[in-house]
Amino acid sequence: MFKILKQVQDYAQESWQAAKYIGQGLSVTFDHMQRRPITVQYPYEKLVPSERYRGRIHYEFDKCISCEVCVRVCPINLPVVDWEFDKVAKKKKLNHYSIDFGVCIFCGNCVEYCPTNCLSMTEEYELASYDRHELNYDSVALGRLPYKVTQDPMVTPFKEFAYLPKGVVEPHGLPKGAQRAGKRPEQILEEIEAAKPKEEAAKEG
Amino acid sequence: MNSGIDLQGSFVQTLQDFGLPIGLAKAVWLPLPMLLMIIGATVGVLVVVWLERKISAAAQQRIGPEYAGPLGVLQPVADGIKLVFKEDVIPAKADPWLFTLGPVLVVVPVFLSYLIVPFGQNLVVTDLNVGIFIWISLSSIAPIGLLMAGYASNNKYALLGGLRAAAQSISYEIPLALSVLAIVMMSNSLSTIDIVNQQTGYGILGWNIWRQPVGFIIFWIAALAECERLPFDLPEAEEELVAGYQTEYAGMKFALFYLGSYVNLVLSALVFAVLYLGGWEFFIPLDRLAEWIGVADTTPWLQVLTASLGIIMTLAKAYFLVFLAILLRWTVPRVRIDQLLDLGWKFLLPVSLANLLITAALKLSFPVAFGG
Repeated sequence: MFKILKQVQDYAQESWQAAKYIGQGLSVTFDHMQRRPITVQYPYEKLVPSERYRGRIHYEFDKCISCEVCVRVCPINLPVVDWEFDKVAKKKKLNHYSIDFGVCIFCGNCVEYCPTNCLSMTEEYELASYDRHELNYDSVALGRLPYKVTQDPMVTPFKEFAYLPKGVVEPHGLPKGAQRAGKRPEQILEEIEAAKPKEEAAKEG
Repeated sequence: MNSGIDLQGSFVQTLQDFGLPIGLAKAVWLPLPMLLMIIGATVGVLVVVWLERKISAAAQQRIGPEYAGPLGVLQPVADGIKLVFKEDVIPAKADPWLFTLGPVLVVVPVFLSYLIVPFGQNLVVTDLNVGIFIWISLSSIAPIGLLMAGYASNNKYALLGGLRAAAQSISYEIPLALSVLAIVMMSNSLSTIDIVNQQTGYGILGWNIWRQPVGFIIFWIAALAECERLPFDLPEAEEELVAGYQTEYAGMKFALFYLGSYVNLVLSALVFAVLYLGGWEFFIPLDRLAEWIGVADTTPWLQVLTASLGIIMTLAKAYFLVFLAILLRWTVPRVRIDQLLDLGWKFLLPVSLANLLITAALKLSFPVAFGG
């Protein structure tokens, strides 16, 4: 007799708990409704890519010495370096250079190892095209510089999450000239420069 | 007491004054409220679809539709137009007749149920004396249509979805009917008008939600399951069953399912408002207020005011419940099929039965408060 009463009580308690949890969940969802949307409305608003963004690769034809290091460090030997040996000048003569971005995984190994810094990463990420063969960039296409988001009059640029001031999670309505949390690289450099004479003075003294 | 604005009476009277026989005058009146109701229900669906998208977006910190019309209000219209112009595909090995009949059988009963939804004392298509019963019986036609659609599609996912839909509808109809029965017992009538009238007089304090708190919750859970809303949307669970019984449907037939599910949601919310939230009643008793100020209840402006306020109140209550359903959609995860049937048969059914018995006991012991 008492056992069944206990069972009923437990069951009622469980149901009450379930209802309570659903209520708590509902209050969370309701709370989210009052928050500002974080949507960046893409074609009209764009995020400024960070300085370490690994976008489309830029290539400077005149700097290249046709050493093929980029080909060797590439996971799939992707860059095509078309050179021939110029017997008169006794030098390699570069005819063509191309990278197929339909296959490239933007790992940045070639940029990392290039001895003359003729390869670099850009912030360009809009590579869509109607034909995959158009993604095979030759040295001319690789030499083009991407258009900066901040200079495009059609686009409102927004800072990425890591570049927002402390406590701000959303770039909309940020005051102009707002700085991110922490020191900027220039400031750190300035501080180091300022500390140098002191150190030298300490060494001498 | 005056029963408020009576459009049918005035309309028939006017036509009779022009010299029409009374039968013809009534026949001229008949299609008007039906047409109005169908248009109203369809527009209501457009509003709900837009609300659903906007509220879902807000709950997920998105913006939602924005470019089709101001604030994206024309987005559901654009969706509808797209579906109308799409090719109507019937799979090669499907049964064309059952495949076509399925969505029709799902949609027509839902629209028919709008017959009994009252927006005022006389603002109802027909005041049937079996009102709420006809809603329950019509809503049990829908699973036949779902099963038909699932079976005729000749697709295993569609068949599974159809079977699930039928199982779900059948098991949740019983607690739904039992909780409605408790209300019916208190108001001594199946007519929706009588059910609302029994709640009038004390404003918000007289609503059935205070006398039927358990029934209120059971009804909402069961109604969500009947509408296949998110915690119970197993029949079309897109991650498991592609889209359930809707898998093979496209174009206008898919649009019918889509329309049907949203019309059903609005209908359930409306019936819920009528049963538990006092239908067209305002928060405070208006007729007493008018009496207190000294305005006769036959004054035309008062009648128009109360009638429009009644329509607004009914819709406001219904849309509040729709809002709750959308919020619930982003709060609760989908239940498993065994959990669904467990909840239906092992929890809702006994609790609603107990609720019915307790209501009967209370009705016998406190006839004043529980409609003796």
